[in-house]
Amino acid sequence: MFGKGLRGALWAAVVLGAFFGVFSTQARADEPGVTPDSITIGAFGPITGPAAYIGLAGRDGANLAIKEINAAGGINGRKLSMIFEDDGHSPTKALAAVKKLIDQDHVFMIFCVAGSNGTLGTIDFVRENGRVMFVSFASAPGVTWPFARNLFRGGTTEVPRYGELYAEYLHDYLKATKIAILNGREEYPKNEGDALTAQLKNWYQAAPVKRAEFNIGDKDFTPQLLEIQGADPQVIAIFGNPAEAAIAMRQAKELGMNQRFFLGTTMVDQSLLNVAKQAAEGASGFALLPLLPSSSNPEMKSWVAKWKQEYPNLPAGRPNVFDVLSYSDMYAVADALKRAGKDITTDRLIDALEATHDYRISAIASPLTFTKKHHIGNLRLQAMQVKNGEWEPVAFEGKRESDILKRYQ
Amino acid sequence: MTWRIILQLALSGLSIGSIYALVGLALVLPFKASGIVNFAQGEIVTFGAYLALILSGLGLPYLAVVPLVLVGAAMFGMATERLLIRPIANQPEFTLVIVTFAIGFVIKAAIRLHWQDNTFSIDAPFVGPPLVLGALRLNPAYLVFILSTVVVVAALFLFFGYSKFGKAMRATALDPIAAKLMGIRIGSVFSAAWALSTMLGAFVGLLLAPVIGINPEIGHLILKGLVAAVIGGFSSLGGAVVGGLLLGLLETYAGAFFGATFKNLVPFGVLILLLLLRPQGLAGASSVRRV
Amino acid sequence: MRARVLLILAGLALLAALPLVATSYYLYLVELAMINVIVAVGLNLLSGNCGQISLCNASFMGIGAYCTALCTTHFGLPTLIALPASVVVSALLGAALGYPARRLSGLYLALTTLGFLELVGIVIEEFPDYTGGIRGLKVAKPDIFGLILQSNAALYFFVFVLTIAAVVVGANVQRSRYGRAFDAVRQSPFAAQALGIPVARVKVIAFSLNAAFAGFAGGLLASVVGFIDPPEFGILTSIQHITFIVVGGLGSITGSIVGAVALTALPEALRGVQEYAELIYGLILLGTLLFLPKGLVGLVARLEMLRPAKPLTEPPAKPPAKEPAYGAS
Repeated sequence: MFGKGLRGALWAAVVLGAFFGVFSTQARADEPGVTPDSITIGAFGPITGPAAYIGLAGRDGANLAIKEINAAGGINGRKLSMIFEDDGHSPTKALAAVKKLIDQDHVFMIFCVAGSNGTLGTIDFVRENGRVMFVSFASAPGVTWPFARNLFRGGTTEVPRYGELYAEYLHDYLKATKIAILNGREEYPKNEGDALTAQLKNWYQAAPVKRAEFNIGDKDFTPQLLEIQGADPQVIAIFGNPAEAAIAMRQAKELGMNQRFFLGTTMVDQSLLNVAKQAAEGASGFALLPLLPSSSNPEMKSWVAKWKQEYPNLPAGRPNVFDVLSYSDMYAVADALKRAGKDITTDRLIDALEATHDYRISAIASPLTFTKKHHIGNLRLQAMQVKNGEWEPVAFEGKRESDILKRYQ
Repeated sequence: MTWRIILQLALSGLSIGSIYALVGLALVLPFKASGIVNFAQGEIVTFGAYLALILSGLGLPYLAVVPLVLVGAAMFGMATERLLIRPIANQPEFTLVIVTFAIGFVIKAAIRLHWQDNTFSIDAPFVGPPLVLGALRLNPAYLVFILSTVVVVAALFLFFGYSKFGKAMRATALDPIAAKLMGIRIGSVFSAAWALSTMLGAFVGLLLAPVIGINPEIGHLILKGLVAAVIGGFSSLGGAVVGGLLLGLLETYAGAFFGATFKNLVPFGVLILLLLLRPQGLAGASSVRRV
Repeated sequence: MRARVLLILAGLALLAALPLVATSYYLYLVELAMINVIVAVGLNLLSGNCGQISLCNASFMGIGAYCTALCTTHFGLPTLIALPASVVVSALLGAALGYPARRLSGLYLALTTLGFLELVGIVIEEFPDYTGGIRGLKVAKPDIFGLILQSNAALYFFVFVLTIAAVVVGANVQRSRYGRAFDAVRQSPFAAQALGIPVARVKVIAFSLNAAFAGFAGGLLASVVGFIDPPEFGILTSIQHITFIVVGGLGSITGSIVGAVALTALPEALRGVQEYAELIYGLILLGTLLFLPKGLVGLVARLEMLRPAKPLTEPPAKPPAKEPAYGAS
């Protein structure tokens, strides 16, 4: 009925229409992501793959905060909403997520709950783009240095600071001069091990008596432990995952090693105690937050009860530290959004964030402070020790002035 | 290096090697029967561990959980073979490799969705304080690993050597067409091989669960199982066991003498050297596979 | 035939016009798809045509990526030198793997490539001063004759042109006598050897070519994303590459292109299901492998078979109208 020419032309029209329809951008508002009654935030982090416990907690903690904020009236009358994208812990996918959020979904700002590598994949794009990105978990220094007006880091402090606090705690508080380090060959544990080694050298002209490494997924640490035993340390610092640390500590005890253990931040967690049981008694380490979700502190208990009411079907192990961190940081962001006023723009948000001083939603969070010179919100970690099968806070505060801020003068 | 250290290392090498040996066995079984390597074997181990977790959570003691998990795994293996593997058994190798990987991927994704990344723990009668033998300390769990491997190998030896079905499986492995002509139902043989293999994998999960904790990533040790199987030439069950034990010892001593990097290199260095120089392994018969 | 060529040209024209209408997100996705097309075309030569299984394709991509990154960021070389250098290095390493492995096949070859993959990963992590180790490595934006490719459109055209070039090269190799030698080796190495084809040498060439394509794609990936880390080039990525050619259709260039595009788009399309994306991706993959053994290209071929066939005999032609005979009485 229709000639070949006409059919071809119809197909061409359909294809072209689809092409332009699918790929076209929508008209932009004056300030993207802001309408008279809503502000849209974009967020990304790993919710699939081995790092999913970070992104899922980041998303759920933030969503809980947003729900409460909206119930209390929102941000100057506007409702807050969040679009979350998976980054699969891959820089390639993280960049796709951020490009989608900024170019496609036109969000007002980005709330980043990704790991360090995912975050670093997006840094250049966000720097150029100018949208504010508030980084909650990533501890890589590249987030805040070189300085960019639109990049902020919240509750997590950066890796060199870990080294400073660890070194001071081990050397000045535990009075340990012979320290052995056992770390996993993965980004975060390696960072912790390197930072500690570097800071021992910088501040105390000391070096670990032994440094051994293990591979993620290792089930047996006998060779490394025997090597460490030969160096006769006073403290054994382990950086890795709770599962591995638990096995290592148990094996050390079996080998008759009675040194104190010092653990990295990922292991200052209930899950370590579940697997290591008795072997973890007396171990100490630093937590990212003043209180762990398993703490018996009344403010934390009521927060966990609130969380469990919102997410009743999640498995053991949630809420974890990242739930709390993300929740607190979202409140810090909301607080700045409010102070930026009804006539909100990116510049006003940046000014409001830079005016943040010792803000925290409650005792479950670390106080955050930003200045015009640096955007590192928190330089504090909480020292903890395992007493009677529970992580208890230790009254230790880093007294030495941090070297990190020196380059921001 | 004192004798004490060398013996201590030998014990831990043998016990971790037993685990590798069991995984290696689980890989060689379906390969011998149907020529397919099950790259999902690591996730079968994880599956076994989580199945144990579920049953433990229902209040069952460990010794009751063991046979239930083995039966469950066997059924899972048979179902997988029938529904997913047999329809595509004639496809090129790539398809089979990807399909088994995809099965493992789906299992891990499903586990991760439900239990997320928490490390769970279950109790077992063999977890306890270390046994003291002179200057040596042995984790009782390690003893159980070694003994279990001995028992499994003995059981398989009896099965393949003296039972009718075991002999049927050997015949099918040698020459499927002749076996068919002899009246052996090779479909059942394939199913049984897969069921045995998944049972072995789940058994490893059962052993490891109380000792190292249960999380979605424990399947990573399939790589070590592959190396163990290769040392045995991938065609010999006994070879896989020897391979696993050797690998465990090599790794442990290499790590002790040369550090963690070397420990990491050992499995893959051994793998490549063997494959290039002596692909039939240390024990296996020389077999030129469809070059 | 002409219609097909016109269709391809029209498609390319649409792709070329994309920067006019698309957001940087879509441009980025298309860039990633194009990079995966290069990977798939290269892997298809080795695995689809030559029949050699390789689980380490991602390693060659990683070698190319790290090589480009080091050349541009560490040594400050321009991209037009860094990329060819990466291709050469990858090709050499491909030959270095292919040569000792030339007598292996099937399972043993697969395991050797697996071992190679792990070794490359270890090497990358052992030299963090050069490769950034597990912390990853930042890569400078491509630098062509002093011009830094800052704008989205410039980077897009760069990748677009290079992808077309790679596909053309791949298609030509497939049609050349090397391509025919590959096919011969896949179908029967014994017969091929008997016919005088140097099977071992052909295999090494196939490995080398595959590595060159993968390394090239890796260099482009490093330039497009700007940040690389070792997990990007691990076993999961290698398996993903194999899925491109298996799902698309083993052995055909069209299949490689279709598979790469479809399986790059699929994870992005699954963003909506959030954390269920992995499970659904795995199930879709399993379903495709089970029900479409010849891949998507095979599906199209089967659908074409369902079209009513042309009759074998022509209907009798109408006799021409009787012309009046000249000079008839």
